[in-house]
Amino acid sequence: MEILEQITIGIDDIFSLVKIFYLVAMMIYLVFAGIVIRQVQMMVEAIGGVLRGPLRLMAWLHFGVALIVFGLALVWL
Amino acid sequence: MAAKGKKGGDAGEAGDSEEVGRERTHLVRKPEEYSEVMRKEPKTRSPWAAFMVRPDGFTFETQDSGERVLLLLRRHGVTNLGWIVAVIVALMLPIVLVFVPMFLWLPENFQVMTVIGWYLAVVGYGFERFLTWYFNVYIITDERIVDYDFYSLLYKRVSEAKIDKVEDVTFELGGASRSFFHYGNVYIQTAGERRELDFEDVPKPEVVVKLLNELVLEEEQEKLEGRVK
Repeated sequence: MEILEQITIGIDDIFSLVKIFYLVAMMIYLVFAGIVIRQVQMMVEAIGGVLRGPLRLMAWLHFGVALIVFGLALVWL
Repeated sequence: MAAKGKKGGDAGEAGDSEEVGRERTHLVRKPEEYSEVMRKEPKTRSPWAAFMVRPDGFTFETQDSGERVLLLLRRHGVTNLGWIVAVIVALMLPIVLVFVPMFLWLPENFQVMTVIGWYLAVVGYGFERFLTWYFNVYIITDERIVDYDFYSLLYKRVSEAKIDKVEDVTFELGGASRSFFHYGNVYIQTAGERRELDFEDVPKPEVVVKLLNELVLEEEQEKLEGRVK
């Protein structure tokens, strides 16, 4: 029985590690999404066009979705 | 009142110079007047086009006032096929994994987060590739040729050459895909610091070369006739 409990604790540790891995990956992706916002800003400043507004919006939406997914991972996993 | 075009050393010289200046400005011709390409090619309305003639609402950061953008080029749309197919396949992958279960050992919440994270990453990749295609442009104005290159996140390189520094223009169009979809490379030799500007995979390369030759001729004509802007 004690052996079973030790195995159960071991599996929980593994999933804790997996959760940490997911969270770190999401954080890195959040940083990437933030960089994309800056990248789009730089690009539309260099080259203007009719799609300036929609592309800025898409970049922010992308960041927003990444933030929500990160929050979901934090709470749900 | 001094006669038009008269130059002299008398008291009316300043007024004469202004008259001459205004006359010379009026002698600068519009591109449609000297360029057959500008007359024949229809104006482009679509913001997605890879070959945009006199694009509306388009500006770039180093554009001078009064400088007109004649042609905006991007790589032909068909060059995006590779990553578009990759994105479509990647989006369908989680559906395939239903029949080839690889992540059943994970709890359900982990499986769902994996799928959500996967879709997010694929969308991010597709968006990044689109931005790279959309903003890597080649611009031909009535004064300059400008090449905007965004190599990676937050790194850009802008190369430009004045039309009167252009020495040689060549183009190549070969291969099945390029022949079928009619796109190719244009190589521009200049006398400036950047010896060569390359327009890669642009639509209608022969039209681009023709326009550049017309612009070069017009610059030479302006110099000969003493016309200034």
